[in-house]
Amino acid sequence: MTRILRSIRFNIFLGALIAFFSAVGTILPQIGQEPERANAFMQAHPLWTKFLSFFGLFDLYHSWWFMGILALMAVDIVLCKLWNKPPDAGIVALPPELTNEEDLETHLDKKEAALKLKPFQAFFTSKMGLDDAWKTARGHLKREGYAVKEEFFLPGTAGAFVGTRHRIQRWGSYFAHIGLVVILVGALIRSLFGFVEMVPVLEGGSRRMQRLFDPRSFSERVRELFWGHPWTMKEPVDVYVDKFTIEYYPGTMNPKLFASDARVMSGDQLLGQKVIRVNHPLDVNGVRFYQASWGAGGMFRSVTLKLGKETLQLPQRTPVKIPGTPFTVEADMMLPNFTVTDGQADTASLDLKNPAVRLMFSVGPHKTSPLWLLKNYPDICFTEDAQGQLTHAPAPPFQLAAIDPILFSGIQVAYDPGFPIVVLGALMWLLGMIALFYMHRRRVWILLESAGENSCRASLGAWSSRGTREYEAEFGALAKSLRSELKSEDNFQMTENPIVEVS
Amino acid sequence: MNYEVVFLKGALAFYALATAAAFVYLYNKDDKWSSWMFRLVGVGLALHLVSFGFGMHYFWKIPDNRYYFPINSFFGALSFLSLATVAVFFLIESRHQLGILGAFVLPWAVVGTGSAIIFANPAAEGLVPALQNYWINIHPVVLMTAYAAFGNAFGVGVALLIQEHQIKSRKPSELCYRLPSIEDLDDLNYRIIVWAFPVLTVGIIMGGIWAYSAWGRFWGWDPKETWALITALVYAGYLHMRFVKGWRGKKAVYVSMLGFACVLFTFLGVNYLSPLHGYLSGGG
Repeated sequence: MTRILRSIRFNIFLGALIAFFSAVGTILPQIGQEPERANAFMQAHPLWTKFLSFFGLFDLYHSWWFMGILALMAVDIVLCKLWNKPPDAGIVALPPELTNEEDLETHLDKKEAALKLKPFQAFFTSKMGLDDAWKTARGHLKREGYAVKEEFFLPGTAGAFVGTRHRIQRWGSYFAHIGLVVILVGALIRSLFGFVEMVPVLEGGSRRMQRLFDPRSFSERVRELFWGHPWTMKEPVDVYVDKFTIEYYPGTMNPKLFASDARVMSGDQLLGQKVIRVNHPLDVNGVRFYQASWGAGGMFRSVTLKLGKETLQLPQRTPVKIPGTPFTVEADMMLPNFTVTDGQADTASLDLKNPAVRLMFSVGPHKTSPLWLLKNYPDICFTEDAQGQLTHAPAPPFQLAAIDPILFSGIQVAYDPGFPIVVLGALMWLLGMIALFYMHRRRVWILLESAGENSCRASLGAWSSRGTREYEAEFGALAKSLRSELKSEDNFQMTENPIVEVS
Repeated sequence: MNYEVVFLKGALAFYALATAAAFVYLYNKDDKWSSWMFRLVGVGLALHLVSFGFGMHYFWKIPDNRYYFPINSFFGALSFLSLATVAVFFLIESRHQLGILGAFVLPWAVVGTGSAIIFANPAAEGLVPALQNYWINIHPVVLMTAYAAFGNAFGVGVALLIQEHQIKSRKPSELCYRLPSIEDLDDLNYRIIVWAFPVLTVGIIMGGIWAYSAWGRFWGWDPKETWALITALVYAGYLHMRFVKGWRGKKAVYVSMLGFACVLFTFLGVNYLSPLHGYLSGGG
């Protein structure tokens, strides 16, 4: 079982599964993302809905099985990294079975054979004695930026060492994968302990959050623990919006800015106060209050009606007498984005794209049928009958000059204790990626064998984390400079399958 | 007169000429065609940069947009993506001098700039509040750079498949000798993806950090996010297939091409799925 779980192939399969179901979730409407579309789909296809919702496909990303695949992948990545050695030749030095000196002396040819298996090799004879050549070669590699590790040195016989550059590259893969798991852990913490709540607050009013929360900061909690206070306290919290501002780009209905002058209170205690804008939330002990949306719910402070030269201020649901006439007029309702649905007045959205107001005129006990006036289209007017059906009416002799709506501010309260962990994981991923893919680990093995008093044979083998092409020229240059440092005069003695030729 | 569009049209003309030169070079051994292709691309790139500069100038006339890049609109995004694609191509070509790669990459630049000119609206508009954040200069730029690199890798992949077909056919044509070896193409495809994959993932993570500051969540399974994740998963699959199972050549290239299909869908298709994150909706 663990064999399967720790196999990279199985992990690739899990990744493909996640990719597939993620794609399904973008095509099938999700309750979490698009509740209206999801509900519309459910009503249109009741039979399918039964089947699909049994598997949680309308809330796919939060279904137990999808979370299960993610968790399984996290576990598998850990298992993979624990069991599988990184697939590279770089950590395999010369054959390790030769440990004692006698073996080394008799089996030096095996070392040479091992070098010939490396992707890059070079062989030449030096005009220096073993001791000198040994020191020179090591010094040269160090100067080239290689960390040199001695493998063995038998005076008068032979010596071998390994040089590595950018060793950290090897850990890139570990770091990146652990980072990925840390990100998933952060997401898990969020789904276990975090919350999101939408709190629409009318301008000038307040609203109590459904969720209770602890108004104290972490350090306060620790301190108060000593005085016998409980670790968690659940207090109701109210969000006040004292003023809501919206500005548009000139000549358009595209919002440029919307902001709430907001206070967060727990009873009489002020927990936080700030002008919240999009991208600039208010933070109360880790719970963040975001400016998410805004809208007009149909309330207004007043509308200004223009009758010839006169203007009238009409507060909502307050009859006002029209001067010089027996009429009174009352504005009772506003729709922010007026549209006609099934012959009835409706709003297409909650933004003030096409505001309309319903007016009722009366003389004594007699009321006229309600009249809808559109602010942006003064020539269009509808009358509404008792059933709410609209009919076009001729352009009236009065217009809506202005509407002063009471807007609501959509404040989204979110608590995500996993976020710092996600950022930590992201950082690990970033560092891991840089090490793994942007650093270039090279490893060079050098075997020196004495061939008389002032001569020794040098065998070089090398490996690179970037495949053959990238390192070819660099290794060629390294071998060439080493050859001249070691006072070699011969051309390279080539093996049967030479990869690098230095002339 | 909108100089952004004028210069973009100029860039498009030079890209088209360069593409033509690249195609001639596929069938004509004369190296002058490839050097002409390279020069034409250089001129096109310069014009495109000027166009982007003008775009920035018009965009910053709205004070609230100032110091943000104009890549929120579909026009800006297409223009920038084409610019990045050509810039990455220019870098690859100046390092590797393949000569033939232009025929497989430059058509993307022609299609990108062309559709920006034909289909998209170049008018500068004020940024919606969610986008008024310094991340708009980082997150989309990083991601589109990755997309551009993947576009180049796709071009290399196409060249590889053609070469494979040539070698396997009984009568390999002139093209066979023009194209680099399958090993070289496979190596280049891999090297580009290995460079771009971290950029892609880091771009996605940056998006998450921005989303946390604008919308209060790091990840929300919005279609754009989700498809970017799918893209990353496919390329991660490609890398693992190569590392672990030693896939090379045709097989590996098919996986990387699937990745590029996901890139295209993330960039374009998602606009029809996401109400929040699409260019057509003006969101982030």
